[in-house]
Amino acid sequence: MSDRPLPPGSPRDHDAGAPKEPLPTSPRGGEDRLRVLSVLVEDNSGTLSKVSGLIRRRGFHVRAISIGPSREPGRFRMTLEVDAGHAEADQVLKQLERLVDVVEVEDLTDHDVHSRELVVARVAVSEVSALVDKGARVLDTGPTWTTIEFAGEGEEVGGFVDELRRHGILDVVRSGPVVMRRTAS
Amino acid sequence: MVLEALEQEGVDLIFGYPGGANLPIYQRLPDHPKLRHILVRHEQGAAHMADGYARACGRPGVVFATSGPGALNLVTGLCTAYMDSVPMIAITGQVNSAQVGRDAFQESDVIGATSSVTKHSYLVTNIAQLPRVIHEAFHIAATGRPGPVLIDICKDVQMAEAERPARQRVDIPGYQLNGHVKLDQAGLAATALAKAERPVILAGHGVILSHAEQALLDLAEKAGTPVGTTLLGIGSFPVNHPLSLHMTGFMGTGWCLKAVQNADVLMMVGMRVDDRVTARLADFAPKATTFIHVDIDGSEMGKNVRPHIELVADARQALEAMLPGIDSVDEGRGRWLAQIDAWREDHPLRYTHSNGHLQPQDVLIDMYKRCRSEAVVVADVGQNQIWAALWWNYDRPGLFINSGGAGTMGFALPAAIGAKFALPDVPVWCVAGEGGFVMTAQELSVAVEHQLDIKIVLLNNFSLGMVRQFQDDFYGGVRSQVDLTHMPDFVKLADAYGLPGVRVEKLADVGPAMDAAERTRGPFLIDFRIDPEANVYPIVPLGKSLNDFWEAPVGE
Ligand SMILES: Cc1ncc(C[n+]2csc(CCOP(=O)(O)OP(=O)(O)O)c2C)c(N)n1
Repeated sequence: MSDRPLPPGSPRDHDAGAPKEPLPTSPRGGEDRLRVLSVLVEDNSGTLSKVSGLIRRRGFHVRAISIGPSREPGRFRMTLEVDAGHAEADQVLKQLERLVDVVEVEDLTDHDVHSRELVVARVAVSEVSALVDKGARVLDTGPTWTTIEFAGEGEEVGGFVDELRRHGILDVVRSGPVVMRRTAS
Repeated sequence: MVLEALEQEGVDLIFGYPGGANLPIYQRLPDHPKLRHILVRHEQGAAHMADGYARACGRPGVVFATSGPGALNLVTGLCTAYMDSVPMIAITGQVNSAQVGRDAFQESDVIGATSSVTKHSYLVTNIAQLPRVIHEAFHIAATGRPGPVLIDICKDVQMAEAERPARQRVDIPGYQLNGHVKLDQAGLAATALAKAERPVILAGHGVILSHAEQALLDLAEKAGTPVGTTLLGIGSFPVNHPLSLHMTGFMGTGWCLKAVQNADVLMMVGMRVDDRVTARLADFAPKATTFIHVDIDGSEMGKNVRPHIELVADARQALEAMLPGIDSVDEGRGRWLAQIDAWREDHPLRYTHSNGHLQPQDVLIDMYKRCRSEAVVVADVGQNQIWAALWWNYDRPGLFINSGGAGTMGFALPAAIGAKFALPDVPVWCVAGEGGFVMTAQELSVAVEHQLDIKIVLLNNFSLGMVRQFQDDFYGGVRSQVDLTHMPDFVKLADAYGLPGVRVEKLADVGPAMDAAERTRGPFLIDFRIDPEANVYPIVPLGKSLNDFWEAPVGE
């Protein structure tokens, strides 16, 4: 539980006492504003701009994104990490579902998932062996540099990038996450 | 191909304006005598006409515009329709597909410019897509929560010939109408309403769109629950019914606001619960322990107020599902209704009428006596809109048309024209302030050209009245840029366009002018010079709660 104040207008901040009978509470719309969403979209002209336009217009904020072809021809899979901003967190999913080009949205926040990110970096040759020990893979080697890749959970990748900094990086690129449930749903 | 597809959708009326990028469509238009095209004087006018048409008859209005400036002139009209969930199809011409992205003459990114004010949009670069796209567009515009759909068609596609494929059933994976229906809490909602001590129902546009007015009446009567409506929900519940609270929101009636603020169970049906309805959100219905929200659009649940009980469905379906669950009603109900009646007595609608000026309410009352429930009133935006909403006993849907969500000045005249095309046998009255009226006054030509029987009631207060009132009431009385001096002589303006008009300055002249308007076939304009200081009351000061409404000073 964060100590974020309850959204204004939320019935919970009315002081008129508890409802007479226990009432159902909403399954979503909790305090956590960061949502991890897996979104299946049609490959239509303008789909990406409609998704990003919606996110901007509703005051949400993208923390990370990745997109690539899905198993189904003509459709792409987006993985989004979105901050709901001042809106209730479940609004991100609900607003995305309203887009006609969005076929399906799954909220994977707090689910048991595989979440992988990729980082590719060019480092000085002398530094490589320490990084390989940490799990990096060599992609190619030049006279003075080596290009390596490393994949892992977001935190691992973050740790790896910190590690790289200590070794002196010539260049680094990092992907957004791709996320999949651990168990078939 | 475009025109054939429109005919197939049952279209018989188009509001439009030609230009370079849609000329191929216009070239073929004469070959389709069943498609009646109304040449407007500005594309914004076309969009509002299509909007008024759709609101009046429920079928999507159709608009044509050319690329670039033509299409961009539609944006305000699309936004107006989008905010109020009005079905519309806008067909815009786009430059040749090979030129897209090269800043060709009159090229603009229409999809980009309109995607936040359309329910969906398509760019058509290939003739093979066209039949499916048009068919889908009509389906999307008119079903579920309706809204405008834009189809941007490249010029080369307009010229292309192709075999017309057999029409296929619409199947849009990302648009499943019943995918989100959720009625499992209908019983719970019914019990909560019946058991409540102080229940209130608020009804919005969704009740009208889903033809749920009878279900609403049945539910309200069975559950002995008073009903207020939003501005767009006007007509969903008869104003003169004993359970009516009339209009809610920051310019709603005193007794409605009292009821909302004291309710223990508040049910909101077919409405967005926006800031004009809630005023200060943290103080909205502070005594309610149970919020029930019914809306066809699941994203409305918790967007502004988090409900305890949510029904995601068409309003009629939801209300009908609740009905059997209402059995015995809480015994305190009589006291609650008596309390509301006391508030009704204590906070009536009132206005000053002793300062020698013509009052807008006098005009509307005279008009109401003539029209009752026989005419459609199309209002513009500003004070005139709220007066027309409050000083009238709307008793069924479809009698009051106005731009609620967007609040678009200039809406009334073209929307009245559209409504008249939809309902040629019904009297249509257009109520507007002079500020909004001149924003689209050029469409008078259309009314005259087609001899549309529209009565235009200008409530002329020589200023941007609503803004003037806000400045007086909430901005320390600093009047800044609200005086409308140098406006045209509206009687001469009418004459210049070719319609009769009269000016009225005294109460005694209201009746005769209205008589003349009613006698005249074709458009007629009355320039009512009203009290320049007349205000809209009740009103909740900006940023305050619904408890803090101001009332009209007590008259003599
Ligand atoms: C296109 C547009 N511009 C500005 C506004 C802001 N606005 C709201 S009401 C109003 C005054 C309207 O004046 P008028 O048309 O004379 O009507 P009145 O309020 O006097 O009845 C203004 C400027 C608006 N709603 N729409």
